[in-house]
Amino acid sequence: MKQRRIRCLAAAAFVLLFLGAAWFTGCDLSLMWSRRDHLTDIAAKMFPPDWGFLGKVLPLLWATIQMSITGTFLGAVLSIPAAMACAASLPGPGPVKKAVRLCIQVLRSFPALILALLATFFLGIGSFAGTAAITVYTFAIMTRLTYEDIESAPQGPYLALRAMGAASARAFFRSTLPEILPAYLTNALYLLEGNVRHSAILGYVGAGGIGLLLNEKVSWREYDKVGTILLLLFAVVYLMEHLSTWLTRLVQQERTLGRQGRRLLAGAAAALVLFCTVTLPPPDLSRTSMQMVKMLFTGLLHPNWELFFRLDSSGLAYLLLETVAIALVGTCVGAVFSVPLAFLGSSRFFPAPAAWLFRTLVTAIRSVPFLIYGLIFIRVCGPGSFTGVLTLAVCSVGLLCKRFTEAIDALDFRAYHALEAMGTPKLSCVRHAALPQLVPQFFSAWLYRFDVNIREASALGLAGAGGIGAPLILAMNQYAWHDVSTLALGMIALSWLVDLVSAFCRRRAA
Amino acid sequence: MLQAIHIRKQFQRSGEVLRDVSFTLGDGEFLSVIGPSGAGKTTLFRILNGTELCSGGEVLYDGTHFEAARGREKRAVQQGIGTIYQDFCLVENLSAIQNVLNACLPDMSLAASLLGAFGRERSQQAAAILREVGLGDKLEEPVKNLSGGQKQRVAIARSLMRNPSILLADEPVASLDPVTGRQILCLLRDIQRQRGVSILMNSHNLDLSLEFSTHIVGMNRGRVVFDGAPGDVTEAVLRDIYGEAAETV
Repeated sequence: MKQRRIRCLAAAAFVLLFLGAAWFTGCDLSLMWSRRDHLTDIAAKMFPPDWGFLGKVLPLLWATIQMSITGTFLGAVLSIPAAMACAASLPGPGPVKKAVRLCIQVLRSFPALILALLATFFLGIGSFAGTAAITVYTFAIMTRLTYEDIESAPQGPYLALRAMGAASARAFFRSTLPEILPAYLTNALYLLEGNVRHSAILGYVGAGGIGLLLNEKVSWREYDKVGTILLLLFAVVYLMEHLSTWLTRLVQQERTLGRQGRRLLAGAAAALVLFCTVTLPPPDLSRTSMQMVKMLFTGLLHPNWELFFRLDSSGLAYLLLETVAIALVGTCVGAVFSVPLAFLGSSRFFPAPAAWLFRTLVTAIRSVPFLIYGLIFIRVCGPGSFTGVLTLAVCSVGLLCKRFTEAIDALDFRAYHALEAMGTPKLSCVRHAALPQLVPQFFSAWLYRFDVNIREASALGLAGAGGIGAPLILAMNQYAWHDVSTLALGMIALSWLVDLVSAFCRRRAA
Repeated sequence: MLQAIHIRKQFQRSGEVLRDVSFTLGDGEFLSVIGPSGAGKTTLFRILNGTELCSGGEVLYDGTHFEAARGREKRAVQQGIGTIYQDFCLVENLSAIQNVLNACLPDMSLAASLLGAFGRERSQQAAAILREVGLGDKLEEPVKNLSGGQKQRVAIARSLMRNPSILLADEPVASLDPVTGRQILCLLRDIQRQRGVSILMNSHNLDLSLEFSTHIVGMNRGRVVFDGAPGDVTEAVLRDIYGEAAETV
């Protein structure tokens, strides 16, 4: 009873928090309803798409894929030594482990878009900067996931090899690495999927790929051409996700491939990565000067403390609070819509053709870059936090639905069938046998999404959608590195705090 | 009373797995269906609890045709049958009492069932049944924290919550150690004797089946090869049921 009371109190506190955040972000459903016609304005103008534009889109689409493949590969490979350096279960000096972990924590605080903007200052405009950003982004996430996997892997085989006199690295590669390899490859494939979507918008900050063209066509209001780009992006995301699912099943040995097939696949993957890496255009260093780099670092090392302690709406505290509120409301609204969509997309509850249709719809939602949603919602609600909430909510639907459907597909149906055999109606079976099993997994996916959305919310600034992103991107473009340093410090602290809260919630939920 | 009359079941891939299966479970009987793996016991069980349709024959619960029943009519019959499974089939994240209360769902309105508004009376009844099966101190314990024997007791309590006249048990002790398995069968026998519930149990364990049952049905390759009292199970009968493996049973 006491536990139930605590749960009720926690739920009530959360609802209050949500309502407070919704009020803070200026959520106004009546405004949205009165301007609902504008929701479909742009979408309607995208059809029919301009197919004559295909020739110009395809090379840039390839550059986007190339950026994501090379970036994911390099980031994933580099993450292995970094993970080895900071895994607590492997030998190494403590201060080095702490330093590497701190670096990873700092890098993880920024979305790919902000990293790409920073990369363009060093490496010039073009695909090379985008690839570098994707590499760093993948590296940070993969290092964290890999060192956690290393720490939870059984230590026996590693210690046995060490006891036989094998060097640490050799013992690791022969014992721990084979143990964590399936999880490592699964994570890398999952990131590759996401990186294709991220790469598609890096062009907005000049970091190559199709984003540049998308930005141009959106600015010129050539929506039929935007439609062509979005359709092609959908096709690429759809194919990539299916390929990734197939490869994940192979990695986890749910599917098998003959020896020759495996060799052929490995050869094709190696050739693709090699081709993507070798044909990458070189960086444009013509505009990079030592003086600029020096200015950047000097600025970053000397934060603007006035901005740090300012308490009005342009101060750091307010901007961070606004970012958290946008992420909280956006993720919650996204989750509410994702639950029914995830059930509709699962072939375990609905006929396969209907489930496929809903899954494809969700893939379509996922494949549209968030800036397009931002653009649509700005026409409805104007620039500000509410637009950020709506944009993040739609993006969360695309991504949460996938995680929720995966959880539903892996559901243990024994209790469900037992209730069904007693004559319980289907909806009650879902409520009392399926949902209690799914809630912890849904909560975990929600928490992960919230964590990611906090970081992604800073990229929303590009769409004029409130939060810390707009002042950060503005400060970067104005070379106001003292301000950038302050805002980045705030983001790092916020990301660290959210990490702590997520870890606490996960422990409590387990 | 449950009557199985000339039941047949044919699967497209594995062919005919039940051939002309007939027997009667009388009121207050403890019937064990025994036989080697592949004899068709589980398929028969699934037909009897309505999760599988038979290809031919009749299943009568107190004279009502169950094999042809659909929708509301089928649910009405199912509500008088309690089912216990080898792997318990409980919702692990829910507490013992919540799992037992789930048995009330078929009688509740949709709104009440979705809100989980079981009411005080049902909650008290569920607690009383859990005390009856020896889990009075585990009412609020999440099922995932219970031992195998305790989980099976929760599953039994869940089926008793429906006040069934018939209890179907599919290998109820197969996942348990011998001591706990015997305790569970003692509990089932008490329920049969005190509540007058008829029990039909699928079992691999010959010794326990002979000890606890009042009626044995032996199956081999989808056919009933023995139907009688435990005292009539001779070595020749065991050879009919288990074939060459009879000596090792």
